[in-house]
Amino acid sequence: MANAFVAAFEILSFGAIIVLIVLGLGIIASMMGIFNFAQGEFVLLGAYITYLAYAKGLPIWTGMVAAPFVVGGLGFVLEALIIRRFYAAPIVAMLGTYALGLIIRESVRGLIGGFYLTVPEPIGGSIDIGAMHISAWRFTIIVITLLVMAGCYLLLSRTSFGLRMRATLENPSLARASGISTPLMYGATFAFGSALAGLAGALIVPVFSLYADLGLRFLIQGFVAVMVGGVGSFIGPVAGAGVIGTLSAALPWIMAPVVADVLVFVLAIVFIKFRPQGLIAGKGV
Amino acid sequence: MPKAMGAVKQAVPAEIGGERDVAMAGSRAAGAVASTRKILPIVEGVVLLAALLAPLLLQDYLTVFATRVIILALFALSFDLVWGYAGIMSFGQALFFGSAGYGVALLARDLDITNIFLVLPAGTLIGLAFALLLGGFLLLGRHPSSVIFVSLGTLTGSYAADRLARGWYYLGGQNGIPSIAPMSLGSYEFTEGPAFYYLVLGILVVVYLLCRFLVRSQFGLALAGLRENEQRIAFFGYKVQHLKAIIFTIGGAVAGLAGSLYAFHEGFVWPNMVGVVVSTQVVLYVLFGGSGTLIGAVIGAVIVEGVSFWLSDNYRDIWPIILGLLLLLVILFRPLGLISFVLGERERVGSFGARSKENVKEKRNAP
Repeated sequence: MANAFVAAFEILSFGAIIVLIVLGLGIIASMMGIFNFAQGEFVLLGAYITYLAYAKGLPIWTGMVAAPFVVGGLGFVLEALIIRRFYAAPIVAMLGTYALGLIIRESVRGLIGGFYLTVPEPIGGSIDIGAMHISAWRFTIIVITLLVMAGCYLLLSRTSFGLRMRATLENPSLARASGISTPLMYGATFAFGSALAGLAGALIVPVFSLYADLGLRFLIQGFVAVMVGGVGSFIGPVAGAGVIGTLSAALPWIMAPVVADVLVFVLAIVFIKFRPQGLIAGKGV
Repeated sequence: MPKAMGAVKQAVPAEIGGERDVAMAGSRAAGAVASTRKILPIVEGVVLLAALLAPLLLQDYLTVFATRVIILALFALSFDLVWGYAGIMSFGQALFFGSAGYGVALLARDLDITNIFLVLPAGTLIGLAFALLLGGFLLLGRHPSSVIFVSLGTLTGSYAADRLARGWYYLGGQNGIPSIAPMSLGSYEFTEGPAFYYLVLGILVVVYLLCRFLVRSQFGLALAGLRENEQRIAFFGYKVQHLKAIIFTIGGAVAGLAGSLYAFHEGFVWPNMVGVVVSTQVVLYVLFGGSGTLIGAVIGAVIVEGVSFWLSDNYRDIWPIILGLLLLLVILFRPLGLISFVLGERERVGSFGARSKENVKEKRNAP
């Protein structure tokens, strides 16, 4: 019983981490049609900023608060300077963002060296329920993920900003004709997606520790999750991330980890092949 | 399909790449077109000559390095066929490269087969088979697959293979398969050095010529059309998905050949060889050199590897950053790669039929 509970918690917490990482990726892919290969590096940057705050002796949570803003700002600048040129060609966008990611990743590698740097959990210890102990920080991540998810959903579905964002996605020329500044909306969307990646990086760095390939590890999983969920809506990628995250965490409990690892990808690709529109088809929130 | 090819053979050359050229046609006389057409053979000749002379001029350890570069150029060629000619973004080309490498390594380790006439065809076949399976699955089917799906599918395939190789004890896990016996021909063993270099160069030249023949054939023209405007080619009656699957498989075979040579040259295989790192490496080569020209892929591999070899001694840490910046600049400002500085747009697309000046003129004036 206790074992099953711990397993369920592990699965849930890994699922939450994947959802957190995929949120930004999914918003950029759905709203802008760009598969951002630099997203993993935005996660890495968020983690690095948190580490910097820790190394400078500041409280860790200051780094975690700063990370989304810094990374979001960087995303806004990059969109205006570079990403903007790629909208017409999705493949070129992949290559261009890959180059961007390479630059960021190698810069961070140069800064931290080839090390694994640990950052302590801002909320340490464990939560005890009877005889069972679960990590307090992982539990916090689950809670924050739920809050961020709800926040994003409300932002997109209930605010005028969200409305303009969706209008820009669905019919750019009509949106422009209605007085919405589509370039600004694209910039804001990209910045928002980047900020979410920065937040994800900041939150997961105590769990995975900081190393240069941190973002790369999640990138492909993230892409697969977005495709499984369905590009075009906010809810689709989130659902895909839930499925992929849960599967990746659950399968190793019942089979050899190597097989489980590969099986998740194979299943996902087969699924997308036969249902290209993903779990949740359609545009909008 | 052959019937359709015959029917459209007149239309295709005039259509492909025509729009951009028409704009220039006023200022550019047919004679000028004819003269620009000669640049490609010159570039190819210079590269071949340099490659032939290299071992005579280089020190031994550099010849070993040059051999590796030539093998990687062969690998780049395979990606260029797929992306540069057919417009299929294969982010997992290393899957075929690496699986062939692992395949021949296993042949050498477990069955003691190192005969060059057995291992190279075996490697090529492994690459071909994997490409046929993956390409057939990703590209064929009732609904045409989106470019995004194909590129992410190949990427995922390569990543999954990497994870599998890392975790599978039979394949050596993290360490890969070390100390593979050298490739042999009778009692002669190919070890690193000039002999291996010329062997690899010979193979590269043969494969290059085959590819050149292929892309300059009607099939190649259809591919070029696919890259420029897929829908139009579909309307001509071509089975677009079949064309793609065929070229993807051929690309996989070439990558397999390169991978088996690489395994024997380095003497070991390791999981990175099937993974994302090598997959993106080959994308870099081709983008730098210039996709859609075979020689561009070769030049790209030589430049990227050469410069990184030269710089990594002194500027080890910042070289990847410079590489990223250069790549970004190339993508933004030179989408056709470095080769486009010397090679005209027209030469990227194959030629077809008699190409007299009148012929060119007549086609250009056609509405």
